[in-house]
Amino acid sequence: MKKSLLVASAVLVNGFLISPLSNAATVEFWTAQTQSDRLQTIELLASTFEALNDGVTVKVVGVDENEMATQMAAAVAAGTTPQLIEVNSEIIMALGEEGIVDTKTHQGVINDIGKQRFHKGALTTLTSPTGNYYGLPYHGWIQGIWYRKDWFDEKGLAAPNTWENIETAAKALTDKANNQYGILVGTKQDSYTEQVFTQLALSNNAAEFDAKGKLIFNSPATLETINYYKELAKYNPPGPQNWRARDYYLQGKMGMFFYSTYIMDDLALAEVAKGSLSSENFKELSGGTFDPELVKNTAFAPIISHKSAASYGTLSGLVALKTKSAADAKATKDFIEFMYDPASYITFLHMAPGGMNPMLKGIAEDSAYLDDPNGVFKLYGADKMKQIVSGFDDIRSFSVVKGKTFPASGAIFAKSVIPRMIYDVTIENEDPQQALDSAEAEMKTIMGK
Amino acid sequence: MSSILVKNEAKLGLKLVAPAVGIIGLLVIYPILFNIYLSFFDVQLNGDKTFVGLDNYTDLLGNPRYYHSVGVSIVYLIGTVIGTTVLGLAAAVLMNQEFRFRNLARGLILLPYFAPVISVVFGWQFIFDPVNGIYNHVVVDVLHLTDTRENLIGNPDSALFVVILFDIWKHFPIAYLLLLAKLQSVPKDLYEAAAIDGQNAWGRFWHVTLPELRFVIATVVLLRIIWNLNRFEDVYLLAPNVETLPIFTYYQAFAGIVDQGGAAAISVIQLLVLVGLIWLYVRKVLKW
Repeated sequence: MKKSLLVASAVLVNGFLISPLSNAATVEFWTAQTQSDRLQTIELLASTFEALNDGVTVKVVGVDENEMATQMAAAVAAGTTPQLIEVNSEIIMALGEEGIVDTKTHQGVINDIGKQRFHKGALTTLTSPTGNYYGLPYHGWIQGIWYRKDWFDEKGLAAPNTWENIETAAKALTDKANNQYGILVGTKQDSYTEQVFTQLALSNNAAEFDAKGKLIFNSPATLETINYYKELAKYNPPGPQNWRARDYYLQGKMGMFFYSTYIMDDLALAEVAKGSLSSENFKELSGGTFDPELVKNTAFAPIISHKSAASYGTLSGLVALKTKSAADAKATKDFIEFMYDPASYITFLHMAPGGMNPMLKGIAEDSAYLDDPNGVFKLYGADKMKQIVSGFDDIRSFSVVKGKTFPASGAIFAKSVIPRMIYDVTIENEDPQQALDSAEAEMKTIMGK
Repeated sequence: MSSILVKNEAKLGLKLVAPAVGIIGLLVIYPILFNIYLSFFDVQLNGDKTFVGLDNYTDLLGNPRYYHSVGVSIVYLIGTVIGTTVLGLAAAVLMNQEFRFRNLARGLILLPYFAPVISVVFGWQFIFDPVNGIYNHVVVDVLHLTDTRENLIGNPDSALFVVILFDIWKHFPIAYLLLLAKLQSVPKDLYEAAAIDGQNAWGRFWHVTLPELRFVIATVVLLRIIWNLNRFEDVYLLAPNVETLPIFTYYQAFAGIVDQGGAAAISVIQLLVLVGLIWLYVRKVLKW
């Protein structure tokens, strides 16, 4: 009687029928890859795992990255926490501090795979102050400035790898009367803005924390970065902008833009689509000159130098969440290890060649990895790829200072404190020092909780 | 004997309302009380609570953004409520006249109200896109009215007005629908009597139509206030930088890791404001 009641309530709670086998287990997997083609690929991996593991159900759910923290909060409050999520490192660190992450499973996976196989910098990023792993690094990207090499050459501009070069080029390439813009920096209140700001701040030696974990955000270096950012924003397309404005680059209306290595895929696709997208089809649009040679004419400046050289990137990880069911926890661990198996790992990474880079050593040299279905790696060349992946040994971010991790940075990220500060300065014309003061006050409130 | 009858009837009455009282208690009263309780705590995701007294309230009332959002909300409320009511009234009076294809026109007017929010929001964003949008194309490239391309939805000075305009356009049909229904039931002889008394069209509208519509207009205004004080999706999707109270609440409490205690404090205050507003409106303006 009691057992049937249990089964009935389990059915009610889950909303679908669970197979009555004794080893029945469910892995609900939330992924930040919400595009339908990527979801299909992940579904395929999940089905393969299901076929190999009798009685295990893997339910794949796509959740927008910006909504992940909110959705998680709702799910935890409602008692419907998923078993596994895939999301960026800032959110992982914030969730870790909330006490809902299953660090034991992570430790188990690292023991099985071997700690030395992970890129060191990547693993450090997800380590808690007490030495636990809040998540497992899965894929990552490097950010930099992508720019029209042909236009730079034409105007005799130097590559945008220093503050001076960037500003000069942004100014030279802006012609608002003809609907042409020099640069794209984020000015909306979302994570893209923080990512652009972080790289510039790191190159100016500005930080959120010092090595002792003291908040040092309100500094002359940060203020200087904000003022510089405001200058660059003058050459932006009008109004608040985020990464979606990269379309203006693809349309030939923008000279350069901050973006991750994810764009490689889009550029390659643009190359494929060039047959249908020609200037003739768009001659009605002012300024629109689609360049069929876009890949060839695009160059990448991953390192920005001012007071120091800064490369910036971030990674996404897999996070197992605490669950009451031992069977679910076991199935989750198995599924994670399956996802690290070279065959499935490479399938996953090939969803965005160049954008999703491996966190395990050796994968990037794998010939199967270098042979992606869209031919992106061939287009860019193996050397360029090796150069990009090597950057992951030394990813810089606000949350890691001298090998120590400060999870409060994740909570600050989740509350969009920096993007709102930038928005206030660039769009609302607030005084930079005043905006910085209120951002610092907000950071203190967040850390006090 | 009669007292027994009265008692029995009272008992039956209690039994009959019990289910309703139970449901309201469970779905309305309990959440409100629990919400008030939560507003005094700092709540972690795993359910741990720490009593913080009035901290959530003092944090909120000490935040200048809060007062800013109250101001934005008031402008938004006044603009949208007056806008939808006036436009709805005008459309209702117009559609009450006899003309060809009247039924078709009556149906077409309702379209903005039926269209899903997300699709019309995208439509508006495409129209006002600063680089590729048709608005800037027409204003700058075709008519040459100005040289500078404007991001009307993104620019904080104009965004509030675009959002108000959007709400009026999207929601005036409901005001129109309610008002037209009442208009059709206004007796013709009232207008004839007014005409005999020498009233022109304006006088007939002022002395017959408006007094007849008074309670429907009052209802429309009341509904619009309640809806728009809590309106989230239209504003957030179209221009997330217009911080009305619900948007402020979202950024403050729900963006990132949920601050359940803080969110509870905001909603308690918002509930008090809404109840106060409605009480004032019902007693002083409607005189019900």
